[in-house]
Amino acid sequence: MDQPIWITFLVTFLILNVLLIGMAYVTWFERKVLARFQDRLGPTRTGPFGLLQPIADAVKLLGKEDLVPAAADRWVFLFAPVVTFMTALIAAAVIPFGDTVSIFGQNVDLFAADLNVAALFVLAVGGVGIYGIILGGWASANRFSLLGALRSAAQVVSYELILGFSLVGIFIMTGTLSLREIMLQQYETLSIGPFEISNWFILSQPLAFVLFMIAAVAETNRAPFDLPEAESELVAGFHTEYSSFRFSLYFLGEYISMMVISLFASTLFLGGTSGPGVEKYWGLGILWLVLKVVAFLFFYVWLRATLPRFRFDQLMGLAWKVLLPLALLNILLTAFFRLLANGQVF
Amino acid sequence: MPWDVIFFYTIAAICLFTGLLVVVSESPVHSAIFLVLCFVNVAGIFVMQGAEFLAVLQIIVYSGAVLVLLLFVLMLIDPDKLPSFYTARPLQRYVSLLIGLVLLLEVGAAIITRPAIEAIGPDTPEAIAAVGGNVQAIGRIIFTDYALALEMTSLVLTVGVVGAVVLGLPERLGEKARESRSTISLGHPRGSSDILGPGPRFETPIDVPAGRTTAPQGPRKVVMAKSPDDYTRAGEISR
Amino acid sequence: MSEITVNHFLFLSAALFIIGMMGVLTRRNVLVIFMCVEMMVAAASITLVAFAQETHTINGQAFVLFALAVAAAEAAVGLAIIIALARRGTAPDINQMQELRD
Repeated sequence: MDQPIWITFLVTFLILNVLLIGMAYVTWFERKVLARFQDRLGPTRTGPFGLLQPIADAVKLLGKEDLVPAAADRWVFLFAPVVTFMTALIAAAVIPFGDTVSIFGQNVDLFAADLNVAALFVLAVGGVGIYGIILGGWASANRFSLLGALRSAAQVVSYELILGFSLVGIFIMTGTLSLREIMLQQYETLSIGPFEISNWFILSQPLAFVLFMIAAVAETNRAPFDLPEAESELVAGFHTEYSSFRFSLYFLGEYISMMVISLFASTLFLGGTSGPGVEKYWGLGILWLVLKVVAFLFFYVWLRATLPRFRFDQLMGLAWKVLLPLALLNILLTAFFRLLANGQVF
Repeated sequence: MPWDVIFFYTIAAICLFTGLLVVVSESPVHSAIFLVLCFVNVAGIFVMQGAEFLAVLQIIVYSGAVLVLLLFVLMLIDPDKLPSFYTARPLQRYVSLLIGLVLLLEVGAAIITRPAIEAIGPDTPEAIAAVGGNVQAIGRIIFTDYALALEMTSLVLTVGVVGAVVLGLPERLGEKARESRSTISLGHPRGSSDILGPGPRFETPIDVPAGRTTAPQGPRKVVMAKSPDDYTRAGEISR
Repeated sequence: MSEITVNHFLFLSAALFIIGMMGVLTRRNVLVIFMCVEMMVAAASITLVAFAQETHTINGQAFVLFALAVAAAEAAVGLAIIIALARRGTAPDINQMQELRD
């Protein structure tokens, strides 16, 4: 680390702010796109194209009464949503927005941290995030919140496993866990016949990509895997007893984790900042990354608009009986092909 | 500013403090929460010692899986039956505290007077960086020198999974619920629930005719689900 | 103490281990005893990694990896036992579980 620490702080501060503002506008994006899918317009009155809607929502949510149930475990009740929100943000610390560039002669890393276990770090932090859900359900002193929370936790743990396994194929191919190096390896060009395209891992690991996307949707408790918190089931699940700011922390934590997983998927499978023109202008790289993230977010909203909800046993059966064997198959195939390419099989 | 000194003392202090709170907390759920915090700090200590892979593994395996499982079990076992902290004899607590302090002094003396070990091993930080990092170094060693241990560990894990599933099966496969549940009540406070008793009046979701103070007594018992099993078996009519 | 030596980590590990030991000796709730056992395993891991760092060998870290995996398997089976006992009416109380010995 040869850059002065104030630059690291500045970059981290910028990333954090971009995430927080982005999260507010992801809610706007979702409402507009969902509305169009449902043949209506979405927010149009608050500001041009409804762009001030997130601010209006925030003001409304903050103005509500903050109830703490009498039988609730007070400190745990207060801290549970904070855990979800914080862990969702922390996971973004290792996402590379570019390589080390030189601005005004000073080397600046366009990421907050480059761990050599970065991919596992994101998984680890996501794993700690489920405590926000479990403790929120427990602390509400409401049996249905608890059941919703436990269901949600079981779902997240199962799909986190699938998430991890689907990435092993990429680790076999790149030999590293560092997200920055995985992104840089996708800058290389691959020649398929007469075509020369970037070595994005979605081309060499399509099965892993599909598994990752399914697991990502389930991890963030989004439709069609949102049984534990759906409005018509179990009285809104684990966040039944939460109101105003605490509820918004859960709600926004979910959107942030959606964004972070989209960033993660873009970095791992779609090359992160790679695209035409990146070698000369690193700003273009950030633009490509943003476009890829928007594509993933659109996919999330598309799924929500289109698919019906899974029942809980269907959801768990899918994870353990279908996706896990497929993930293991993917690992086997990747390892086999890698050894074949190295000439170590026959 | 010696950052590593500050980090070490902060992380160590939080680690020991939360560890103490695990032992001392009244509610087991609080103990579990403090244990999660303790393990996150232990992961921090691993990072300080240059074992980043172990740090993230500690968080993924312990905090993210084992302790979640523990919390599940804690929350599903009837909370009324959880025993309280204090053992019958407070003498036991004081004796254990004394033993603990004595042992700490003893081990401390052993640590201070130990002979320094020379750094003779092959995996110096430069060698590890040359191989590609901590993960790659661990990978090399577990797949060559310790390959047998790796296979045995996977066998142990498989046996553990099978054992846990077998222990979790019901007494006889296919048996019905021991007690019958007929209706699940979404917060009806005036059911003949012997656990809750009369609930707060403003919670009633339906209009109760004036003069009625209990639910109509009939063959259907209205109970609250206390566990996910009850919830799924709620549809069964009482025999 | 201007530099963190291996002895610092050993002290921390000893203290954590002893706290866990006191928990095992004192508490009645089986699940809390289990948590304290896990704490003891974590303390032993810190010691192993500290010595691995001092002698510049990586075997200590591999040992911790295997210990982690085995502890996870032990956790699963132990908790399944506790659930099976709770189903038959035994509360998670160590004094009530003495009958398992016989």
